[in-house]
Amino acid sequence: MIDALFEGLLLVLQWKAFAFMLLGIGVGFWVGLLPGLGGVTTLALMLPFIYAMTPIEGFAFLLGMHSVVATTGDITSVLFGIPGEGTTAATILDGHAMAKKGEAGRALGAALASSLVGALVGAFALAIAIPVVRPLVLSFGSPELFMVAIVGIAFIASLSAEGGRGMLRGFLAGGLGLMVATVGQDPQAGIARFTFDSLYLWNGLDLVPVLIGIFAIPELIDLALRGTSIAGDVPKGQLNKGALEGVKDTFRHFGLTLRCSLIGTFIGIMPGLGGAVAQWLAYGHAAQSARTAEERAGFGRGDVRGVLGPGAANNSKEGGALIPTVAFGVPGSSSMAILLGGFFLLGLVPGPDMLTTHLTVTFSMVWTIVLANIITVVACFLFLNHLAKLTVVRGALLIPVILVLVFVGSYTANNDYGDVLLMLFFGAVGYLMVAGGWPRAPFVLGLVLGKIVENNLYISVARYEAEWLTRPIVLVLAALAVAVMLYPLLQARRSAARGG
Amino acid sequence: MERLASRILGVAVMLASGAAVVIAMDWPLKAKLFPISIGVPVFCMAAAEVLWGLLRPDARAAAMDFRLSDHLPSKIAVRRTLAAIGWMLGFLMGIVLVGFPMAVPLVVFLYAKVQGRESWGLSLGLALGVWGLFYAVFDRLLHLPFPAGWIQTWLGVA
Repeated sequence: MIDALFEGLLLVLQWKAFAFMLLGIGVGFWVGLLPGLGGVTTLALMLPFIYAMTPIEGFAFLLGMHSVVATTGDITSVLFGIPGEGTTAATILDGHAMAKKGEAGRALGAALASSLVGALVGAFALAIAIPVVRPLVLSFGSPELFMVAIVGIAFIASLSAEGGRGMLRGFLAGGLGLMVATVGQDPQAGIARFTFDSLYLWNGLDLVPVLIGIFAIPELIDLALRGTSIAGDVPKGQLNKGALEGVKDTFRHFGLTLRCSLIGTFIGIMPGLGGAVAQWLAYGHAAQSARTAEERAGFGRGDVRGVLGPGAANNSKEGGALIPTVAFGVPGSSSMAILLGGFFLLGLVPGPDMLTTHLTVTFSMVWTIVLANIITVVACFLFLNHLAKLTVVRGALLIPVILVLVFVGSYTANNDYGDVLLMLFFGAVGYLMVAGGWPRAPFVLGLVLGKIVENNLYISVARYEAEWLTRPIVLVLAALAVAVMLYPLLQARRSAARGG
Repeated sequence: MERLASRILGVAVMLASGAAVVIAMDWPLKAKLFPISIGVPVFCMAAAEVLWGLLRPDARAAAMDFRLSDHLPSKIAVRRTLAAIGWMLGFLMGIVLVGFPMAVPLVVFLYAKVQGRESWGLSLGLALGVWGLFYAVFDRLLHLPFPAGWIQTWLGVA
């Protein structure tokens, strides 16, 4: 096994495979930066190019590209408040808030360093977990996946606002997200739900325009309102000093970064939960790590832990998602489903062969994830402080550019004007939520999880009737959901008792 | 502002979830199970939020999220907010009327020149730069289909 591990590294370092990996990194770098242009779409577009490649070269190219998309997506999220990727939206909450305080460099440093830690944890998990992960994956059926989703929503909803009313708003926002996810053709009966005779709505609401609208539009209006640059009146010179501080933050909160990486890996392993969920669960966990209610109130207003959590989980989930893909041929996410196509194009069959005959290829994947992330993070650090300077560009020059990115980014989701209208509609919803003090995070998580929750609930009821509620893992997860709901209330009571 | 926005949202969610439940009643069980089981609690929670707002409007509920700037006099804030919304709607109109490739440089130039009161050179340079990037990435590289605007179609030059 050790021989295969080193052989995998040497194979990736061969000049041709390495060159293809660099090419993939280059493509992934820009795809991540541009809002709307998704990593999944690009992976599908790049698939035909691997026909003439060997398996090592093909995976170096595809995985090199895919591994870095979330890393550079964080840059757009932090600097402009636009999710560079659907999977980097959670970084906006605190990352962009830090940019507005003149700490863009620190936020970017933290995002990149935590991304690297996350990627390494994910890759390490991939390397060691393959033989032991089978029972874990098999023990999670529809009832358990449903409960994981419920725990996720409970997590975010209960932690995303202050007090009892804040919690109500959190659950309301989460429920609203779940409801919005029901728009489109119903997966069980084929009924067109809430489509109002519009063909565009039949496929449901695309996540990209909704996310861009709900996050970017309120930020854009606020930028226009302030009439300054993103960083406002921050003293000159402060911006250049932050990147290293962000790296230090990663190690200052290393336990949190590590735990969020493991959350990402776990979500990646679970088939069907998808990458967008990992970041929000990690964000919820980061918020939960606040010791007092006052400390938690700083989340959403520029707490670096709100950047570290999603940053780490986003990248660790890739290694996790590869585990069931490689070992059982069960893709953990849509990007992994496309990658599965890559296996067949390259003449490989996922399954036991990947752990025996083609073990070196499997390890070459691990190394590709590791090397691609190291190269990207080092490349980003070279001009990180220059990127941070974008936050002091005058609003009058920045707003039209962001406006173009927002409109074109939304349109690219389906190449349909409906995407632009959808973005504007959810922009209005997002603006009202921010103005009214409603948390946006539970809404987005509800929307992301809607289809997963519905499918798994239906399968659980159809397959097990009410018995699914008594399955041991379901009970444990239900207890966890109740605990995360009660935790902030108990914490607030304890703080009040200590204060009074 | 916070109370008004929250009230608008609360009432809107109440109406939307109520309507969703009523609409879903006519569907087969498979299709209505989830919308109803989510819609009913959402309706109740929205009603509770509206009531809470009416009875105890000062209850703590700050979200873990950013806050809109509130340091400006309300007149200026309203004017700037409406202007920003106007530019977005204007961009939308521009896309529909002349298509993305023409609307992009036009809006960038007009925003920089009219709203930002930047110099002619800077406004033109920015518009050209953004258009160049748009053309190179989205048109030449990715070959995204950008439909012609109504005006080009009407003139027969699409």
